Amino acid sequence: MPIIEVNNRGVHIQELNKGAAETVLLVHGMFSNLSIYYFNIAPILAKHFHVVMYDLKSHGLSERIENGYDLNSMTDDLVDLLDSLGIDKVHLGGYSFGGLIALKMAARFPRKIKKLAVIEAPDPNDDKTRDIIDDYSREFLEHYVMNFTNTTKVKMGKRQMERNHRMYEYLFHETSIKSDMILEKEFFSDAEISDIQQDTLLLYGANSNCLGAGKKLKNKIRAAELLEVNGDHNIPIQEPVSIGNIMETFFNNG
Amino acid sequence: MDAVVSTAKLNSNEIFDLMKQFITEVIGEEFVEEMDITMESSFTKDLEMDSIEIVSFSEKIKAHFGEQIDFTGWLSNMDLDQLINLNLGTIVNYIEECQ
Repeated sequence: MPIIEVNNRGVHIQELNKGAAETVLLVHGMFSNLSIYYFNIAPILAKHFHVVMYDLKSHGLSERIENGYDLNSMTDDLVDLLDSLGIDKVHLGGYSFGGLIALKMAARFPRKIKKLAVIEAPDPNDDKTRDIIDDYSREFLEHYVMNFTNTTKVKMGKRQMERNHRMYEYLFHETSIKSDMILEKEFFSDAEISDIQQDTLLLYGANSNCLGAGKKLKNKIRAAELLEVNGDHNIPIQEPVSIGNIMETFFNNG
Repeated sequence: MDAVVSTAKLNSNEIFDLMKQFITEVIGEEFVEEMDITMESSFTKDLEMDSIEIVSFSEKIKAHFGEQIDFTGWLSNMDLDQLINLNLGTIVNYIEECQ
């Protein structure tokens, strides 16, 4: 499992089909890891593309870092990763918080991004998004596991629950992730969103709480197309093959 | 092109022992000691492995067997129910057939 050094920090990456001409880079969401892509979506994209997945700081198998969870820092991390891999330009896909990172990347470094696929990026100004960050507790995790993961059929055992709890505890109490995210609440209103020029695919669950955010982005980004997929916020787990195929077609055309 | 000399073909018991070794490396000896790992053990329910641990496990299989086994490709053809119920015996059979 490759852990590479980027700016003296350990970053877990996975690559498929290294020899391909074009690269698709995939960014996972908060409290998740690259496995959201690894089993289905990445292998579908790897039929045509070099695929790079990485674990965000303090997520998955990447090193724990206390600071720098605002979108500027997260996109700085991504640029450093691209530089260290010697990749100049990519198609970029991001899910949830990773979708926000992808949008910020297209806004800040347009020369590095070919096409943009944003899956279920939430509006940072939405109360529901902020409540999750504000109200974390062990009870929250247990409630979350009982009520929300049922749409993904994945049951958590005791050891997994402990591991997740430790990650949440670390991120919420020992890093700046909460305060950094609160600073981003106006992100969707910023002019830089409207300035995004890349062809953009917005993928949202038809039953997702975040669908409104997708509609908002559709109105702001000139070359955006919004597609609704069966499911809720968990569409990459619920419909991985559809998502993979839709992204492959989108990145392949033109 | 010269034929690549592959490692000796393993029988199912040897593959099972190798898989057990990989699982121990991924989740840690202290957890494995408490478990009775058998061919019937399922990854998510019995071994309680989460998805990033299964990624690490898959990478170990890839690193050990190289090109002869497309483990991720094989997993990618499974739906979520199959992945959740995947047990060690199914993997051992798959690897034995691929060798």
